[in-house]
Amino acid sequence: MNPLLEVKNVSKRFGGLRAVKDVSLAMHAGEILFVIGPNGAGKTTVFNLISGFLHPDEGSITFNGHDITRMPPHDAAWLGIGRTFQIVKPLPSLTVLQNVMLGAFMHTGNVRRAEEEAGRILEFLQMSQVKDFLARGLPLASLKRLEIARALATKPKLILLDEVVSGLTTAEALALAALVKRLPEWGVSVVGGVEHVMQVVMKIADRIVVLDYGAKIAEGKPEEVVRNPAVIEAYLGPRYKEIAR
Amino acid sequence: MSGWKFWVLLAAGCAVSCLPLLSSNNYLLQVFFRIALFAALGLAWNLVGGYAGQLSLGHAAFFGMGAYGLAIFAAHHVPMWISLFLAVLISTLVGGVIGKIVFRLRGPYFALATIAFAEVLRLGAANLDITGGAIGLSTPSLFTGESFWKLFYLSAVILAVLSFLTNYWTSRSRFGYYLMAIREDEDTASAVGIDTANYKLRSLILSAFLTSLAGAFYGSAFQFIVPDSVLTIDISVQMAIIAMLGGAGTLLGPVVGAILLTGASEIFKNHFGERHLLIYGGLIVVVVLFLPEGIMGGVQQLLRHGRRPPANPLAMKAEAQGVVRQ
Repeated sequence: MNPLLEVKNVSKRFGGLRAVKDVSLAMHAGEILFVIGPNGAGKTTVFNLISGFLHPDEGSITFNGHDITRMPPHDAAWLGIGRTFQIVKPLPSLTVLQNVMLGAFMHTGNVRRAEEEAGRILEFLQMSQVKDFLARGLPLASLKRLEIARALATKPKLILLDEVVSGLTTAEALALAALVKRLPEWGVSVVGGVEHVMQVVMKIADRIVVLDYGAKIAEGKPEEVVRNPAVIEAYLGPRYKEIAR
Repeated sequence: MSGWKFWVLLAAGCAVSCLPLLSSNNYLLQVFFRIALFAALGLAWNLVGGYAGQLSLGHAAFFGMGAYGLAIFAAHHVPMWISLFLAVLISTLVGGVIGKIVFRLRGPYFALATIAFAEVLRLGAANLDITGGAIGLSTPSLFTGESFWKLFYLSAVILAVLSFLTNYWTSRSRFGYYLMAIREDEDTASAVGIDTANYKLRSLILSAFLTSLAGAFYGSAFQFIVPDSVLTIDISVQMAIIAMLGGAGTLLGPVVGAILLTGASEIFKNHFGERHLLIYGGLIVVVVLFLPEGIMGGVQQLLRHGRRPPANPLAMKAEAQGVVRQ
């Protein structure tokens, strides 16, 4: 089966820094794939390359049969790539409902229909009681959900969640993880995540890709990846690699 | 603002706007003409500066092109109303070209580029033969006779209503939501599929159309234009101040701003002579200090007061979710 998203030998340089080095990965319909790695490993850069906010220096990206290597983000969004931002980017002086309506406007020009659609999504994310408040005053846990709600409203085939549970308490993070696992109910075919919180990753990931210094060092099922010596070395240093063996 | 409230407000506004027509004092009519015209200008600016959040300080370019276009075509024996049409058409098109260029820039660089464009036009007009150089051009009178000022005032009111309806439609349509998204965060806007450059350009074209129409009427009403009267940065700044003082991105803000600023500056001018600029400046400082989001922005905030979101709306939910069992 062809993967929905295929990233082939992609590299990205920022000046002298090689942020992403020759990374290839595929996301298949029906899976939840997490990209993990130590700070600065290039995880968010990979997401920015896929969603069109950055363009690779080398390599190619195909999504659902389209070459999206140099596609601007708004076109990528139309093809069905939804994303959230690690550093939340709400529209502060609009209400929560209006924030989500902006996603819904991709499929309807009718304001009332966008309102209804946004309302349904907010109900799913348990945000109904704050829907008429300005996004500006919300706590982080709600803003992270708002990011998901807005992306979900565009009815994406692939949703890229960039650290949606980081900064949350364990209870909040696990509650959100349970909702993320239910995203396919909304027609989302692939959930791609970048995450640091291993408790969440281990619980909901079908597959994990590990990056370190911009390069892919491991890939596989969660329980395989955490035993992989290269991964342990990247996270804990060479001494622990020996212990793992 | 819900449907019927809006139409009641609009009808009331139109009725009040008709009152000055009862007077035949030309001075008063001329003042009211300027108030209505600047309301239209503030509303036109509001599309770009308010809803889309792009601080343009070069709208005098469109204003001046409307006025100069009318004068130049008429001087070449083109019928007056066709001259008006051509002037507005050209300014709107130029708006599109200027937008294509300046919207590549963000923030302060965008503002500076818009100033530069207007200044290029001003210096061009001051030095070219076709525009009459610094001496200027006489503009044809779109209306003549007894009710000269009444007709000009009425045109300005109609233009203001047209601009108001454009703003109203913007505030309630997908187009307007897209502009607000661009204002709030361009990255988020493109993540939900908005072609930000395209929508900014559309707002500028709409705004340039209304602004040049106002410019043509202004030039025609005062019968003579020089670069320093219609292409000056003062016009650009005044448009921006009217909208921002009244409340940028609100529907009524630019109208309130125009009535207050244009009206107040006229009253101050009559009572205090040259000192009126000091009071005018003071008024702006007071509003900026105490109502940073403008008068209508402040009113909106007051209406919202006391409605704060719960501290952590998701705190209790986590347990109910049943996933906290560890």
